[in-house]
Amino acid sequence: MIREVSVSTDEISGPGPALADQGAIVARSLRRTFKGGIEAVRDIDLTVAEGEVFGFLGPNGAGKTTTVRMLCTLLPPTSGAASVAGLDVIRDGGEVRRRIGVALQEIGLDPNQTGRELLELQCGLYGITGRDGRTRTTELLDLVGLTDAAERRTKTYSGGMKRRLDLASALVHSPSVLFLDEPTTGLDPASRLAIWAEVRRINGAGNTVFLTTQYMEEADQLCDRLAIIDGGRIVAQGTPEQLKAQMGHDVVTVAVEGGDTEATEAALHGLAGLERIVPEPDALALYVENGAGAIAEIVRRLDATDITPGPISVARPTLDDVFLQATGRRLEGRDQAEPTAEEVTA
Amino acid sequence: MTEIMLLGRRAVREVVRMPEATIPTLFIPLFFLVVNIGQVSRTFPSSTPFLRGEGYVAFQLPVSLMFAVATATSGLALVTDIELGYFDKLLVAPVRRSSLILGRLMADLVRGAAASTLVLLVGIALGASIRSGVLGAIVIVLLSALFGVAYAGFGILIALRTRNVQATQSSFLLFFPLLFLTPNFVPFDRLSSIMETLARINPISYVIVGLRGLIIDGWNAGQLAVCVGVILGLGVILTGLSLRTIAVYDR
Repeated sequence: MIREVSVSTDEISGPGPALADQGAIVARSLRRTFKGGIEAVRDIDLTVAEGEVFGFLGPNGAGKTTTVRMLCTLLPPTSGAASVAGLDVIRDGGEVRRRIGVALQEIGLDPNQTGRELLELQCGLYGITGRDGRTRTTELLDLVGLTDAAERRTKTYSGGMKRRLDLASALVHSPSVLFLDEPTTGLDPASRLAIWAEVRRINGAGNTVFLTTQYMEEADQLCDRLAIIDGGRIVAQGTPEQLKAQMGHDVVTVAVEGGDTEATEAALHGLAGLERIVPEPDALALYVENGAGAIAEIVRRLDATDITPGPISVARPTLDDVFLQATGRRLEGRDQAEPTAEEVTA
Repeated sequence: MTEIMLLGRRAVREVVRMPEATIPTLFIPLFFLVVNIGQVSRTFPSSTPFLRGEGYVAFQLPVSLMFAVATATSGLALVTDIELGYFDKLLVAPVRRSSLILGRLMADLVRGAAASTLVLLVGIALGASIRSGVLGAIVIVLLSALFGVAYAGFGILIALRTRNVQATQSSFLLFFPLLFLTPNFVPFDRLSSIMETLARINPISYVIVGLRGLIIDGWNAGQLAVCVGVILGLGVILTGLSLRTIAVYDR
């Protein structure tokens, strides 16, 4: 910790338990309407506990960035209230800014400064000057693996390097709450993994992280809890496990190699715990309560009708299934940049 | 104060590292100085009464000084920060919003002093002599640089209000009425009556007259006071509007 942050003694006083006491990030009926009546964010309620990684998952235009900008004091809410790091974002904006680190979706870097100069300036803006600033800069450059590129102007950096430098610049003052708006959008899988590792490290040190993403995998891997946002509203909220468990089913995929899909489907009707069957190319997706338990029965039934089944696999529901249930649309596949799970975990 | 210095240093560094942005702003004043003198020095020999015995270069020099410092550089740098998202990074830092403007103006002061020194030296090399002496030359550089700081407010205001590079770039159009509807080629009394009227209501005319006085007349307290008054007035108004605009930016 480079610098002790002074805590004002006259914390929020108001009727009932103060918003600020309820969590590291609290929003109540937060709303933002832009000129022309565009309702970007509609009455969002959320509570992020201290030390949590909280994810905000949703497609482009869902209201993720607008929410982040309101919580970071960059944009005043049209109505509602929010507190961050124990302070009201409207009344105590200045002190909130002192306590938070922010890496916005548009990477904010000055192309004509070197990585080192940019971080030293950033340190200075947070009151870390002189030798302290230089030491902290060297530390951070090392942390994000940019020591070798430190004397180069940032316009020569790759996308991944820019993200890492931007992340480092959000960390100069060791903020207790870190906002990351789509920290990995457009990054290659290796850079994405580097950012994930860094987020885990930051969180491991006890900091609260609020991140937005349009990637299921990212939300699933990184977040303790998440909210799914669509059309400016939170449509589901919980731990990834809770959200998936709420779906109440597994997905059993039965390959029908050149076989008769209709006959196979007919044979499987009335299966115990079956919710629905969705035909896919050369396969059937069966949504059942207990996937593993259903396999024996599926094989028995197919045997009895002389159908030779292809490979059968059981999968837990994904966050995409959760998104589908909550919004009626799939999130996956909306963005071509989304890497597959194999690419990411390779 | 520290944050203004830090942001100012960054802005100066930007100017130094992007000579391609500064060189064209110096080309115009030096081009006009050389070409105008070459074209009219036979028409206006040093025996011309309004030249007080100096060459036309001395008469034209203050106009070139103002060309050199009146730029939209700060506005363009600011709007570029806005477009790149770096401006948001600065807004979300615990700094006073006014520092973001004052840091830029600090760079304008430095650039203005450097540019006007260069133009003044070229003018002297071309034969102008500064009747108010070395102290006068220092005052000329200082006032030119301050005029540059005041003028920068136009670009900054347009940048903050439009957040658009093209609009900010087009602010150079202001330069023409402001710097040409003045006694830039000949004194007030040699202008046609409509041009004289326009020049007399243009405050920039009095900046030119004040600087010109220091070059060809020596010290003239009255002229100088009006010149300083116009620069400070313009600076206070435009900087004040810029500070107000940034204070309500996205608020």
